[in-house]
Amino acid sequence: MSMLALGLLFGGVTLLVMFSGMPIAFALGAVAAVFMFFFMPASSLDTVTQNVYEELSSITLLSIPLFILKGAAIGKSRAGADLYSALHVWMSKIPGGLGIANVFACALFAAMAGSSPATCSAIGSAGIPEMRKRGYSPGFAAGIIAAGGTLGILLPPSITMILYAVAAEQSLGRLFLAGIGPGLLLVVLFAAYAS
Amino acid sequence: MLAGINRLVLFLSMIALVLAAAVLTYSVFSRYFFHAATDWQDELAVFLLVGATFLCGAYVQSYRGHVGIEAVASILPPAANRWRLTVVDILTLAFCAFFAWKSWTLFHEAWVDKQTTSSSWAPPLIIPYGLMAFGMSLLSLQTLLQTLTHFLGDRRNRP
Repeated sequence: MSMLALGLLFGGVTLLVMFSGMPIAFALGAVAAVFMFFFMPASSLDTVTQNVYEELSSITLLSIPLFILKGAAIGKSRAGADLYSALHVWMSKIPGGLGIANVFACALFAAMAGSSPATCSAIGSAGIPEMRKRGYSPGFAAGIIAAGGTLGILLPPSITMILYAVAAEQSLGRLFLAGIGPGLLLVVLFAAYAS
Repeated sequence: MLAGINRLVLFLSMIALVLAAAVLTYSVFSRYFFHAATDWQDELAVFLLVGATFLCGAYVQSYRGHVGIEAVASILPPAANRWRLTVVDILTLAFCAFFAWKSWTLFHEAWVDKQTTSSSWAPPLIIPYGLMAFGMSLLSLQTLLQTLTHFLGDRRNRP
């Protein structure tokens, strides 16, 4: 079988198994193991577990469980709602201040937690009802939060960047630094649009 | 019985996570403020977190909490969905059993050859391998039970 056909087959089977609802961790592992069994020397199957352990024992990757632990602590507390109400009070004088307050709250939360869904749920749960009450359209209110949520992975710390740094063997510190500029630019643009 | 083990293991993993956080914090402090050389902290944290990761697998599986794409599940009719779930569980079981078996052979190898990590602290490698093998075995057992409920019709574990 040619390289291209093998690649297409692998991609197709992976997608099929993933969409079957099988847990992603086991789906990727099972597909890889089956293909190794059929298309690679038999000895390669023996090193699967060792490879998994060696990848796991990278110090950079191990920061993820601890980031999630921190995120869980912030998520359980009232930090998101408090942050939002503080910014709301500050910005209420400016025209369009409510939207700006939401964007800034998203940005600040993104600088504490490393994930976009976490940012959306933390700020959105307080922010969207407030915006709806003040007559923002549902689409616009949800749009502000959805856009603000994307800051979650851009502003450091960011779990996605940690994974990228490990996969592409890049410096994590430099990746985090590279996220700050575009992140702040987006905050300003979102705020300008929201007002 | 298995639920009890899962609870115990979950509790141990919580402690491991907090301990890992404490060890890493200590490591950073001693290295940057006291310029002390650190050798055992990184690996201890790795062992703790590897243990936490693998041991919790069975607990998460018992709630079907492993992340998967459920988009197809919502459009299939219930009968087809039950078939889908059965097939998925069998596949999951096969992979977990394979992984558990391979990690036990790895553990055995490390035990016989008395392998250690390559650092100056050099702890035996059977610790992380053992945790991995034990965790995957628990997970296989849990998946086996859940697969059997499809055929035996025990309503307790059915989602």
